[in-house]
This record gives sequence, structure tokens and C-alpha cells, in this order.
Amino acid sequence: MEYERILSASGPTGGHLVRLSDKKEPKKIAWLQCIGSRDMNRCDNAYCSAVCCMYAIKEAVISKEHSGDDLDCAIFFMDMRTHGKEFERYYDNAKTKKGIRFIRSRVHTINPVQGTDDLEVRYVTEDGRILNETFDMIVLSVGLEIPKEIVELSKKLNIELTSSKFSKTGTFKPVDSSRKGIYVCGAFQGPKDIPQAVVDASAAAAAAGEILSSARNTLTKKPEIIPEIDVMGDRPRIGVFVCKCGINIAGVVNVPDVSKYAETLPYVEYATDNLFSCSQDTQDKMAQLIKEKGLNRVVVAACTPKTHEPLFQETLKNAGINKYLFEMANIRNHDSWVHKDSPEAATEKAKDLVRMAVAKVAMLQPLKEAELQVNQTALVIGGGISGLVAAKTLSNQGYESHIVEKDSTLGGQAKSIYKTTTNEIVADELKQLINDVTTDSKIHVHLNTTIKKVDGFVGNFQTTLVGNATETVIPHGVTIMATGASAYKPSEYEFGKDSRIITSLDLDQKLINHDPMLKQLQSAVFIQCVGSRENNRLYCSRVCCTHSIHNAIELKELNPNMDIYILYRDIRTYGERELLYRKARDLGVIFIRYSVNNKPSVAIQNGKMSISVTDHVLNRPIIIETDLLTLASALIPNPAEDLAQFFKLPLNEDGFFVERHAKLGPSEFATDGVFLCGTAHYPKPIDESIAQAKAAASRAVTLLARKNIFTSGQVAFINPVNCSSCGICISICPYSAPSFIEKGPFTGKAQINPVLCKGCGLCVASCRSGAIHHNGYDNGQIFNQLFAITELPN
Amino acid sequence: MIEYQKKIQNIAERLLNEKKVDVVLGFKKGTIPMMNQPCLVRVPDETQKLVWDSNCGINLTNYLTNRKERIGIIAKGCDTRNIVTHIVENKIKREQLVIIGVPCTGMIDKAKINGLMVNEIAEVSEHNQEITITDSRGATKTIQKKEVLQSNCSICKYKNPVIYDELVADLVPESKDIDRYEDIRKIESMASSEKFKFFEDMLSTCIRCYACRNACPLCYCPTCFVDESKPQWLGKGMDPIDIRTFHFLRAYHCAGRCTDCGSCERACPMDITVRQFTKKLEKDCVELFGWEAGLTLDKRPPLDHYKTNDPQSFIK
Amino acid sequence: MADWEPKIVSFFCNWCTYGAADLAGVGRMQYPPYFRVVRIPCTGRMHPKFFLSALREGVDGVWVSG
Repeated sequence: MEYERILSASGPTGGHLVRLSDKKEPKKIAWLQCIGSRDMNRCDNAYCSAVCCMYAIKEAVISKEHSGDDLDCAIFFMDMRTHGKEFERYYDNAKTKKGIRFIRSRVHTINPVQGTDDLEVRYVTEDGRILNETFDMIVLSVGLEIPKEIVELSKKLNIELTSSKFSKTGTFKPVDSSRKGIYVCGAFQGPKDIPQAVVDASAAAAAAGEILSSARNTLTKKPEIIPEIDVMGDRPRIGVFVCKCGINIAGVVNVPDVSKYAETLPYVEYATDNLFSCSQDTQDKMAQLIKEKGLNRVVVAACTPKTHEPLFQETLKNAGINKYLFEMANIRNHDSWVHKDSPEAATEKAKDLVRMAVAKVAMLQPLKEAELQVNQTALVIGGGISGLVAAKTLSNQGYESHIVEKDSTLGGQAKSIYKTTTNEIVADELKQLINDVTTDSKIHVHLNTTIKKVDGFVGNFQTTLVGNATETVIPHGVTIMATGASAYKPSEYEFGKDSRIITSLDLDQKLINHDPMLKQLQSAVFIQCVGSRENNRLYCSRVCCTHSIHNAIELKELNPNMDIYILYRDIRTYGERELLYRKARDLGVIFIRYSVNNKPSVAIQNGKMSISVTDHVLNRPIIIETDLLTLASALIPNPAEDLAQFFKLPLNEDGFFVERHAKLGPSEFATDGVFLCGTAHYPKPIDESIAQAKAAASRAVTLLARKNIFTSGQVAFINPVNCSSCGICISICPYSAPSFIEKGPFTGKAQINPVLCKGCGLCVASCRSGAIHHNGYDNGQIFNQLFAITELPN
Repeated sequence: MIEYQKKIQNIAERLLNEKKVDVVLGFKKGTIPMMNQPCLVRVPDETQKLVWDSNCGINLTNYLTNRKERIGIIAKGCDTRNIVTHIVENKIKREQLVIIGVPCTGMIDKAKINGLMVNEIAEVSEHNQEITITDSRGATKTIQKKEVLQSNCSICKYKNPVIYDELVADLVPESKDIDRYEDIRKIESMASSEKFKFFEDMLSTCIRCYACRNACPLCYCPTCFVDESKPQWLGKGMDPIDIRTFHFLRAYHCAGRCTDCGSCERACPMDITVRQFTKKLEKDCVELFGWEAGLTLDKRPPLDHYKTNDPQSFIK
Repeated sequence: MADWEPKIVSFFCNWCTYGAADLAGVGRMQYPPYFRVVRIPCTGRMHPKFFLSALREGVDGVWVSG
């Protein structure tokens, strides 16, 4: 955290990377991992904090970007746990392209170097040598823990905690605390990173929403609607309000001068300055002035429209003026704050920006927002655990849904899984869930069904389903993608050539069936990362380490004398899963690390199966004879190119869907009205899939709960007279907003559906015929702004 | 060439007789030498007026725009690439067309020929790959056709039609290892001031007649940007900035679509080498997107579609 | 050239660079006062004519970012 502040532009050093003690620019920085995590000796935190590996790599990469390639960054770690989406690729990139050193070693001593602020690190290399290395700075990758106060609060609330003091939750109820009506999310539930915390937060909101759904809209008030004054055809009467923002602007820019200047500009009827334009009294005053002076367009020269435009637009609305007759000149963020040493030039710039804004606002036209009825039904694609939970969550909140499943049964991958890491029998829970779904009158299940075609847009989709040779069109308002992933069929390690070589799910099947052969095994070997973390599948499948370790424990419990070996690259039992790893070692499971360049090999001779692997401690090859080899094969996304096309959703290079925002929007798409959950997003265990399913449902409810939605007025539109029907707009639009008109006098010309249009302007710029206009950023408006870039001639 | 002409006439006659097309779009002899005119033939009897020689440089695709009838069109390699673009851009339907493909050996540059004779030229005839020029006083000169090719034809990579229903002759061998962009690289390597001077000189004679635009099959908008007044994209006068703006924007409108058919340059009464602009963008499209215009009906030009995995290494 | 003060028009995408320029302000990063920002909804909105118009108005440079 401290180091993050040093890197931050708003931090103590203004983003300049220096050692705080002597302001020296570091040449060598070391990160020490697992400080306060995976450590029973010093801090009693046996769990893994799950986020530190990735943040250390990120910090190292940013440091390099900041200080140049000369900076030496070394990360001392035990297991590199980059199990999140796109993390493995980032790790690989940091290693191979950014030149960050990854040293597998737990440092036990740091000694200050006499007479300097440097630090000496003493560590043991993988091949057993003891080295001393001096660094300018050491960053401790400190883990997460629950503060004392929270533990006490939990006691007061009567919430049960785990041995690691995180809130106790179940795999199938990942956000329910032990007490009904109290839901948990974020790191209190277990150590986790931003996307997972955001997922949990949405899921917890969904869980709370489920029990509160009957109270929805019982306490809301309707705002008063002020009739809009028609200003079409009127000469522009522009009001300019120049904000001082306390001293934020007025401390640099001569605000009265700017507002006096504004008065001289064409069509400006009135100009003044305000101390704080965004304060409630100023807002009221502005509304008053708009009415009094008969203003029909407004420029506010203040901060950034990105934060304050909606507020001022509201003021316009309150004064009866269409909210799009408004423009901001950004004289704070783009001016006073960044030119504090040249007040005169900053004042000149402010005048220029005001002049440009006035020139633009004069050209603006009142705009209408399209109103959309939202169909209150959801389409859930995929009948695995995620899809089922999403539908059930929606139903509990009072919304209907259709589940489309291409298979003949519900349940997806969960059907093949034996137990959860917390020892719940998956089949039992799944049976209950399927029963809940199939008996729910609000949920319609379509088995053996695929999707043929999708029309429409947010609020009003029409999806054509094909099942049992018949087509049905389902109207729905939102879509949840829960298309899932399935196990990779290995081509390596002699898979398929001997019945004793199986995948993790095959082993689960044997455990489910209580196969008597399991008890007879003398020895069992697991090989990790089969098909993951290499070549064309450069991602970690996230679930396999825990899965294999859990199954190893199951086998040990069946037969404590069984010799069990797990051959791995990094053990990634993040969070409290680490406790299983510990338990497995305690039970005598033997862990042997192999490197990707020197993988184990399998030989079958005279009916005997032997596996040869180079032991990382002995640094020499060893041969293990075994009766069962389980391959922890990768989780690969189910093919979804068609669906991606239908809904205009992006897929990443591994075939997983790309969410709206990697951190802040993990359960939704950039395409409005489409949501995402489960392993179609990234490999994840059941609890995380359920949390995300609830999160996707929760995000969907934010739309469904509204009967109608308004779209932005700042969209593109086509003048069909000028359209040449070339079809560029249709081809180029990322949102499928343009289409050809099918009947009437303009048949064959293009038109734009304002509901689908995001107003990006790609089509406007691409239209050679000049037929496409942009409400709010039209050519004439931008030209006018440019014409005003230099002082107008007197 | 006479064999080509015979074959063209035969095919045209047959298509009209069999009512496969309503009209055949081809060339007839012009009133002055080296100026064949586009013509429409609607009845079989008139097919005899169709001609073919090395003066058929006009790109007939220009005459297909928004036509409703079934058309037989005579098309060289470059013309067929423009037909492809026309089909992709909804200007005509493939089903409406019977493309009579002409394997092309290049068109001749009338300016070059004019430059060879002192007196007015009375007749230009060709035999095999030789051109014989007769002037108004009866003097003659015979030269190799390759010496007087249009400059776009001398660097042509697609002499043969890329799409056709009928062929008037066997396909001709395509030229290999042509350096299409020697002139462009030269301009690219100029310093800014040098470039400015170069374009200033190049466009100094432009009279803004828009012949280049009118000859171009890519220019089919109902209202051209040069004629629009709201917004006014550029001034209507002879201001050099407006002239340059016109040429730059025209070139951009052709990016990824231009087949270098040479119609623009051929049409220019001031002999301005306007292809320099379109070729620069053609080069960029090849280098950045591996794209050459008008070779496939299945894909739109690179600037016409949105892809999340767009190559963007050129964005620095 | 040392005291030359260019005027540069900057076309910024509303979603990224415009926001980044806002953040530069929040971080009080100092830069020369030569730029005049025109907010556009996306760099996809950029039209070649915008460059030409700006240059014609006498600016010394055009910067598109997004």
C-alpha cells in the first residue's frame, strides 16, 4: 500500500519513484511475497491472501515503466499465484518481456548495509546456494487479515467466522453469513481481488434484494416534471457562467476578466461569475437567471463535464430548457490546475475555451431521448449451475426467465463433480437446485435447444430458439450469458492409451460411484497444469490445484497407506484453500515441482505404469511407479462465437467472454442488457460461479426494475436524401445500430436505431456522403468550435 | 485487338438475342482519335458498333451505379475490381450483371502520343503490340505500345478480370515483381517543407473542374461533399487551401477502394498526377491491412468495418 | 524557436484521454498552456476534415488521442 502511494501521481512524491528515507532514486527493488500469509510461525495466518502475487508483479511492471529498463526488479516468492483472468499472460509478459526477475525463495533475513540506506537480502536459491544481494528498496507484499474490531463486530452480530477469521459461508450460498438476513461480500468473506469483490457485492445485493423484493417501489417518490420551453428557431440567447471554484480556478485564472470577455462574444446575452457554480444556491440562481433573461443556451466554464455535466443539465431542465442546449468549458482540470505558474496564459486559454464553447452551444439543438419499454423477462443461456442460480435469483426477485440449454439435462459441469472443497456433496445440492428451478412457475426451461437468431436490443430482444425441430421466438428484456466451460481432453501424458490414466473429472466419477478400485491403489499420481499455462492456452485454470489436492485428501482418507504424488508447477490454493494444501502435506501427500521445460513423462511397460519427473529438491530425475495417474486438465470455454456475434460480445484470445470492465464490471458486457457469469467468463469454482450468477442477475435487475429507460439524445441520425446506400455505416457500427430501410420512399437507404446507437460517431466520420449527422457532436458544431479557436477578427 | 473486338461483338449479340441482358455497356468509336466513347447497346443489330482497342481506358463501372436493368458489361482487370467494389457497396447486384471480361494488355496514354508528334494527330492504329500514329499531314510513326502505356497500366498487377461470366480471350500473363510505389516512397521520404512545395506545385494548375471525381466509379454520392453548404466542408473558390482540401478528402474517400484504374488522371485536363494521392492510401492499405481493393465479394474494405482486434501497431 | 508558443488543438475521446486530461489536472501535473481541447465522443468521430479545418484556422498542430 505504501509503495502504491509512492507510485501514485497524487502520492507523497508526486508519482516520482524515490526512496523516502534519502530521496534517492532506487536502482534495485525487491518484493518479498507471503508476508503475513501462508505463515503459521510469525502471524498465525495459514491462508493465502490471494492478491499479493499479482499486485507485486503489477508494481514491478509499473516501476519499470516509470523508471526505465535499468531498474532491477526482483520478486521473491514461494508459488506464483496468478490465477485470475489475464493474470498468467501478465506474469509471462513481466518475466519474458519486462525482464522482471522471479526468484523462488523465501527470504529469512534482511540486514541493513552499514552507512547506507541499502538493504542486504540473504536467500537460498533453488539449487541450494546461499546468496547475498543488496537492494535499494524492499517492498513487503503484505497479506490481508480481518481487523480485531471486525471480529468483535461479528461476535456482536452473531456471525460465525472461519478459523482464519473470515466470515463463514457455504459453497452454494457464497454471500450468506451464518445469520439469516446478513450478507457478506468483499475480503470479509475471504481474501480476494477487485473483480471478485465486485462480483460478491452485486451478489450480496441480489441476496438482499431477494428477501426485500415485495417492498420494491413502495417508498419512492416521483419527481415533478417541468414543461420544456420550445426554443426551436429562436435566435440563440446564451448565458455564460464562469466558475471560480473557490480558489481552484480563481487562484490562477482571472475569472472576472473571462466573464467580461464572454459578454462580448456573439449571441451571449448574459455572463457572470460564481464562487461555486455547483452549489445548490448557485444552481437556483442560475435557473432564475435563465428564466429572467430568457436564455435558451448555457455555457458553464468550470470543471469537467465528465463529473458535472449532469448536474448543470438538471438545472437547465428545472428552468424549462432542453438539457442538451448546454456546453462546458473545462477551465479547471484542463487549465487552472495544470498551468498554475502562468496565470496570464491560463486566462487567455480560458477565454479561448469559453469562446469555443459559446461557438458550439450556439449550434446545438434541443434533443429528444428515446423512451424504451423494458420487457420484464430474462433469457439465460446455459443451464449449468451459473445459469440455474441466475434464473432462480431473478425469480426470487419476481422476474420471469427462460433457460436455454443445448444438452438434454440441466446441471452442466457440476454433474461430474464429487464434492466441494468444504465437503458438500455436489450432486445433492445440484438436485435441490434443479428441483427448485423446474418447479418454479417463473422459470421456463428449454432443453436440447440452441439459439438461431437474435433481434432487438436492450429492453426488447427477440431471440429465436430451435429445439426439437421447432422454432420459438422469445421476447425478453435482458440476457445472461452462462455458457460455461468444459474440461480439456488431453493429448499429452499418454492419455487415452491406458485406462489407468484419467482426468480429474474421471476421478470424481470414480469417487461418486465409490469405485472399489480406489481403495486398492498402492500409489496415485496427479499431474497439474495439463493444457493450462502454456503456449496457446496461457491462462491458469484456477480450479485444478485445489481440486487435485482435495481429491488426494479423499484418497488418503480412503486408504492412508496410499502413496500420493502431486506433480505441479505452482500450487495455487488461493485464499483459505491453502488450508487444504497444508492438510494434504500433513497427511503425507508428496508434492514435486516440475518446470514447464522439463515436464514429467509417462511410460507403460509390461503392464506397469511409471512416471519420471525431475525432483526440485534433489534436482535429479526420479521414477514413480503408480496405479493411477490423474491429469488436472485445463478448463476451456465452450464455443460461443455464434452467440458473441448475435449479441455483439467480444471474446478474448482464449475464447472467454470479455466483460465490460476487468475490475469494475466483471458480470456485465459493454453491450447494454447483456450480462455474464460462470466459467464462460473465466475458470472458477462453484462458489465463485454462484456468486457471479447472483451478481449477473443483480445487474440485470437494475434494468428490469425499471418499466422504461431513456437513451441518450446524443446519437447519430441519417438524412436519407443524402444517403448513397453504400452500407459502410452498417458494416462499421460496433453496436448494429444502422440498418437499411425496408419500405417506403427511402427503401434501401440507411437508418439508425437511436436506442442501439451509443453516439460514438464512427459512422458519422465514415460516411462519405455526409448523410449521417451527430446530435451533439455534428460536423457543423465541431467546425464552429474550430473556427473559434483563434480570436475572432474585430 | 481486332480479335477482341469480334469476340466482344459476338458475345454482346448473343446475350441480347438470348435476352440474358437488357443492355450491353461497352465502347464505340469516338469522333477524335484515341477517344472511344462509352455506349449502351440495346438491340443485337447494333452490337457491330462496339469497338475494342487500347483507348478504352474509361472505367465503365461508373455507368453501373444504381441501374435497375440486367446489364452486360465489358470490363478490363481494373474495371472488374471496381465492379466488385460496386457490388459490395450496394450500387448494383451481381445477378444483374453479365461481366464480359477482357484480359488487358494496357491502355495507351494520349498525352504521351500527342507529345510524339508536332502536328495534330489524325489516326492511331495498333497491330499486335505496336502503335502506328498518323498526323494531319500524313506523317507516320510506329512505336512499341509499352512505351506509351498509361502510367497505371505499366505497373498493373491485375490485367485479367478478377470476376467474369464471359471471356473475350485467353488470360494474359500477369506482370511479376512490379514496384508499384517507387514514386510514393520518394514523396514519403521528403522533408515536410519539400513535401509542401511538391504538393503546392502539383496542384497549382488545378482548375477544380472535378473531372477526376466525375470519372471515378467510386464517386457516387447523391450530394458530393464539395457541393454541400451545411456544413460547408470547403470553400467554392480557387483558394489553394480549398483545392488541396478537395484533393485530400477525395483521396481519403477512395482509401481501400481505389483500384488504380487511372480514370481520374486520364480525365484531368491539366495532366495533374492525382493518382499520387490515391496510391499513397493504397500503399497504406497494403502495408497496414494486407488489403487490395476489389478482389473479393466477401469482404468490405479495411476502413469499412469495426473489429476489436484491429491491427493498431501504427498508433504510436 | 525557444520562445515559440505553438497553438495545438487536441481532439480527445470523451472516455479515455479527456478523462486522463482531467486526471492530469487532479494530479496537478503542469504542462505548457498551448493546447485547446475539443471533446469528441470517440476518436472514431474524427474526420480528416477536422484536421484540415483546424490547420486552416491557423493552429500549429493537431493532436488526436483516444
